[in-house]
Amino acid sequence: MSALSKSPSRFKVPGYLIGPILILTLAMVYGSLGSEYFLQPASIIFNTGRYMEIGLLALALTFVIINGDIDLSVASTLAASAGVLAKLFAGGVPIFWCCVASVFTGFVLGLINGLIVIKFGLPSLVVTLATLALYRGLTQVLLGDDVVANYPESFAGFDQRLVIGGNPGLPAPLALFFVAAIIFYYILHKSNYGIKNIMSGSNPSASNFSGIGVDRVRLLAFALSGTVSGICAVMITSRLSSTISNVGLGLELLAITVVVLGGTDIFGGRGAISGTVVSLFAIMAVREALVIQDVNGQVQDSAVGLLLILTVLVPRIRSYYIDKRDRQKRFNEARAKA
Amino acid sequence: MAVKVNSKISYIFKKREFGIFLFILILLAIFGSIEPRFFRSENLNAILSSVGILMVVGAGQTLVIVTRNIDLSVGSTLGMAAMVMGMVARSRPDFPIIGLILIAMVVGGICGLINGFLVSFGMIPSIIATLGTLAIFRGAVFLVSDNVQIDPEDVPKDIISLATTSPIGIPWLLIFALLAIVLVWFVSSQTLLGKRIYAIGSNPEGAISRGLSFNKITIMVFVFIGVLAGLGGVLYTARYATINPADVGRGLEFDVISAVVIGGTNIFGGSGTALGTALGCILIGILSNGLTVVGVSPFWKACATGFLILLAVAIDNLVRRRQEENFLLAIRNQRVAK
Repeated sequence: MSALSKSPSRFKVPGYLIGPILILTLAMVYGSLGSEYFLQPASIIFNTGRYMEIGLLALALTFVIINGDIDLSVASTLAASAGVLAKLFAGGVPIFWCCVASVFTGFVLGLINGLIVIKFGLPSLVVTLATLALYRGLTQVLLGDDVVANYPESFAGFDQRLVIGGNPGLPAPLALFFVAAIIFYYILHKSNYGIKNIMSGSNPSASNFSGIGVDRVRLLAFALSGTVSGICAVMITSRLSSTISNVGLGLELLAITVVVLGGTDIFGGRGAISGTVVSLFAIMAVREALVIQDVNGQVQDSAVGLLLILTVLVPRIRSYYIDKRDRQKRFNEARAKA
Repeated sequence: MAVKVNSKISYIFKKREFGIFLFILILLAIFGSIEPRFFRSENLNAILSSVGILMVVGAGQTLVIVTRNIDLSVGSTLGMAAMVMGMVARSRPDFPIIGLILIAMVVGGICGLINGFLVSFGMIPSIIATLGTLAIFRGAVFLVSDNVQIDPEDVPKDIISLATTSPIGIPWLLIFALLAIVLVWFVSSQTLLGKRIYAIGSNPEGAISRGLSFNKITIMVFVFIGVLAGLGGVLYTARYATINPADVGRGLEFDVISAVVIGGTNIFGGSGTALGTALGCILIGILSNGLTVVGVSPFWKACATGFLILLAVAIDNLVRRRQEENFLLAIRNQRVAK
């Protein structure tokens, strides 16, 4: 950091972005070694569609984690919302109202999470672990072994649609993600709510005494996370154009990885939307580069896990040694004086 | 007076486990009255052997959660240990069974050591570190096995007989589980090390300022759960006789943490007992088996587990609040008496 601050350039990259940007660059280089088509805009854009649900979940999770809470149930909420959507569609409800119901289901389930956590004063880790099982169970009860498919042409294939035509165009999921990222950026960093969010995460009791309704802030974050899960349920249903009860299984760990890799403190109080966005693209690039190099899917996951640990570990070790060196220096100075 | 307060707390602790025990009895009564075949010895045996693996790993997880940490990587650690053991057994069929069990435990212990180092010296929050190693160890299982599963004919007969033979009326599988529970009970309640583990969990700053080594105890606890997960790998192999790199131990972390939380261990550390965890495991086993025997759709199982966790933490919270009130009351009475 000292080298950076001495440099004359006025633009400084925030510390939490250095890791993800480094990973993104390395992954791009590694991928382009594997195939010359890797860095072509068309192939990059084509590959992004699958990751945008994770991206949206991670954006909403950023708020929850900054509050010092965690929501493990996002993927199950997504599944339950998708289940409601599918069940209503199978019952003959017009697809538009199915989508509205799906988003509403997500909102209600998120609200339930928040209410249990806040009204009973229970740890969010345990509560959302319970609702992870509960909501997944509800989906299984709702759908059973059924596969709901045959969605209308107008609904299916959301990820194939282009918002801006041409080559390369801008596919709808990517456009939606960027719009959401900008909105969430303004909410977190520019709005009243975002400031309250960060403050109540960094010191809940002090914020409470300063007149910030910490409970309401946390409740809103849970509701937001649920609502976004509902929206993602619509996206994933449209993309896969079929629904089964294990839709989105295990997405919660990936979404949390994205948030933490983006520099959001798991204990709350610190975090940025820009970090989440960059780390999403970093993880995407790593996985796609490994696909190009023909690496097994599980090994891709473990590479992401390794990167997660390294991005948290390296700055801590670095600051530990800087601290140690400074202490030694002070000690030496003191001894020289004496 | 201090002695009296102490005896009161221990009384409530006893009561808490008694509550789970009571709940188990109620469940038994309900399932038994609906379907008398539930009490057949084969069915009871099936329940006990299904909770064996959960109990072994849960015993370790109890201590980890008591120290304010969490180990999400147990499923992958178990998979890694089982896979390495299976590969040794496949290449050298005449390898002694004790050697195989030791290999599994050592592999598990190494995985635990990695976790312990990351959490203690790496200063990474355990939830992030083990989220990373959850993916890393799973990837390692694939790399080690080259994505080839261990077939039932390659698993030594001695290992399989651990699940099928019962030396003193209960299967070996359960004997191992009970040994693990007794070991944790002994360490936590009868030794100085146990007191230190609880001290680190209930007040880390205080414990460290009293001269306890946070790093040493953290690493010890993580190695311990690793070794137990390795043993769990042996039991898994005994029960299922197949080691598939993708399936072995997958999702175990959620079941284990559920069982520990239902058993009354506080997710914020400092309290929890081996007996409670054992009862929590049995409760989950009875519930999932009973629902099937009674004829409820298996899809309700996840719902029931989720609901059970919520119930357990809610009751736990109430008990803790009352306990604190009683404690304050006792102190006030003491002052009034003076």
